[in-house]
Amino acid sequence: MSVALGIDLGTTNSVAAIATPTGVEFILGARGERVHPSVVAFPASGGVVAGTDAKRYRLSEPHNVIHSAKRFIGQNMRAPLVQLALTGVRYNVVEGQNQQPIVALRDRRMTMPEISSHVLLHLKRAAERQLGTQVKDAVITVPANFTDAQRQATKEAGRLAGLEVLRLINEPTAAALAYGFGRDRNQIIAVFDFGGGTFDVSILKINGEVFEVLASEGDFFLGGDDLDRAVAEYLAAECQRSLGVDPRPHAGLMMKLMMGAEAIKIHLSDNDAAEGEIEGLDLPTGVGKLGFAMTRAQLDDLIAGYVQRTMNVTRMVLAAADIDPHMVSEVLCVGGSTRIPLVRRRLAEIFAREPNIAINPDEVVAQGAAIQAGSLTGNLSAGTGVAARDAVATVGHSPLARGGVTLPEIAARRPVLMDVNPATLSIHTAGGYIERLLDKNAPIPIERTRIFTTSRDNQTRVEIDCCRGEARRYTENEPLGTLLLDGLAPKPRGDLKIEVQFRVDADGILHVRASDQTSGRHQEATLQVIGAPVDKP
Amino acid sequence: MTTRSDVLVWAQGVVKRKAAPAHQLLEIAADASLDDAQEAFHKIARVAHPDLHRATLAADELELVTTAYARAAAAYQELRNQRSPSRVRTARESDPGPRVLPPTVQVPYSAAPNKAVTVPDAAPSNSAQAMNSKALVYYRKAELCLRRGELTGAVLQLKLAIASDPRSTLLRSALAEVEAEILKLR
Repeated sequence: MSVALGIDLGTTNSVAAIATPTGVEFILGARGERVHPSVVAFPASGGVVAGTDAKRYRLSEPHNVIHSAKRFIGQNMRAPLVQLALTGVRYNVVEGQNQQPIVALRDRRMTMPEISSHVLLHLKRAAERQLGTQVKDAVITVPANFTDAQRQATKEAGRLAGLEVLRLINEPTAAALAYGFGRDRNQIIAVFDFGGGTFDVSILKINGEVFEVLASEGDFFLGGDDLDRAVAEYLAAECQRSLGVDPRPHAGLMMKLMMGAEAIKIHLSDNDAAEGEIEGLDLPTGVGKLGFAMTRAQLDDLIAGYVQRTMNVTRMVLAAADIDPHMVSEVLCVGGSTRIPLVRRRLAEIFAREPNIAINPDEVVAQGAAIQAGSLTGNLSAGTGVAARDAVATVGHSPLARGGVTLPEIAARRPVLMDVNPATLSIHTAGGYIERLLDKNAPIPIERTRIFTTSRDNQTRVEIDCCRGEARRYTENEPLGTLLLDGLAPKPRGDLKIEVQFRVDADGILHVRASDQTSGRHQEATLQVIGAPVDKP
Repeated sequence: MTTRSDVLVWAQGVVKRKAAPAHQLLEIAADASLDDAQEAFHKIARVAHPDLHRATLAADELELVTTAYARAAAAYQELRNQRSPSRVRTARESDPGPRVLPPTVQVPYSAAPNKAVTVPDAAPSNSAQAMNSKALVYYRKAELCLRRGELTGAVLQLKLAIASDPRSTLLRSALAEVEAEILKLR
């Protein structure tokens, strides 16, 4: 009997869990930690280190420590946001084949899926140690607004780690599943997911065991890291004022300040003021320390702009789902950044109710993934006595226990997840405009067929350019790739009937098929997207 | 729709009724409300969502159920768009005619006709680009002549083409081939 792992593969941290008859059991690291940093180190001494141990190298060998790979996975190296993200890393990223970003480290060149596969492999091995059985299958969560290429690259990472990826599910959907499964209530909930690197918010309708995502919207480059940077900038100014050294050109110093900023931010979530000093600063004048004092109000000022952006997106998604805020009966907070009091306060203003913070925002996504994994394989691991003891603490504030529902019922009544298509998918038509085939926020899997025709007499081939995005003009959308259909019979323009079929599968990946109705010729493709991984760098 | 075979029967029905209006695929009345559509689709999902059948159905059966479910999803989305004006819409389903794909970069129609007489078929897709547009008109006429078997007519058209674009090596080799063909027939 195989065990299927539920994995929340995060930008900064990852969590893995399995569904057991008594609840969800977390996979622990070597020190008993549930949260595993998504960090991979290739130390100068050789070998590969992932997880908590890899983080140790962050100060001593920053160039050999790969973090935030999720910001680059399945991305086009030339995308402006990728270029922006590159300013935040100290390892070397170069452009590889198909414009994909490649990590160049000493004599090694590695794709982003390869980097992420080390994190997944670390989790897989930890799970195998803990459970004493082989782990082959996994459900991995991705941000709701992940693109086709990012999803394909994430699947590729799973494959490289020796895992069969049963399903990719959206993070907010997983959170809703962990929260709502077994409650047997019809309600509308909002999931506000503000993590280390990404932000998205989703509106779901729970109808018995059916979980339908009504709308989902997000900002791929907005997260706790941005808040840390805002605080670090403040500390840098402070450093220049009191110590007379501008730390901004010194990457090592800034890294230290970023870590300090994160600690201050976390402290201010529970306290009104933070005061102390950051020690061990490697100043040009020798090792020094920087004193700081910050109140929560000051922090709120620094991060207000970012928080405002999240609230704007929240209003947008409510409009897209046709839902009034008062119809929402629960607001779930996911991701560490939702611990910030300002975020919770602003959320309460929008929905006129306190957000639900009873669930652990770091762990709820992995819980949902584990439930889905158990549901897809149809069997539950017995788990181990050891970690089940550890799981008790989570089960204590998990709805799974509160509702008095234990997981074996899944086998009888399994949850049905209806995720959504993250962006409108269209094809290029004559005149530079687009024809929408599949809507953003449509339920997936979904399939739709449209008939197109040629624009010139005797045209013997057509190129079907596919794109994603909401703009009306083709060039303003993100190109996905081109499908070529040739060998068409020469006919006057408009006479040919070319059937184009778009299907988005349950993982959110697009498959395109084009056929000529007269000759019956057809072409099929899962789009090879620019920036997507190719076989080798 | 509870057992495995019921799901397959349902799926076959949906796949067969490809052109049916959305409300028929969801088995609701034409004037049903958005809530009715949602309830109908949830009912389908509870029974026919492909995830529920991945362990029990054979690969081709699962593909059938997935296709049917994916089409029902599109029908549901269409009804949602119709009944909720604030949503971003896809193209109207009642479009008068098919949309036009953009012309390809290549000049259209350059495939060599496969007649008894061979025509220069050296890289047909590039041949059209190897001459100017005026020459192309004569070249096309030459092709027509060849297809009708009028070799001398083709020679004339090709000569006119060469006069319009004297630098095109492709036209010259085409002329040489047709003339060789004429000699062979004699």
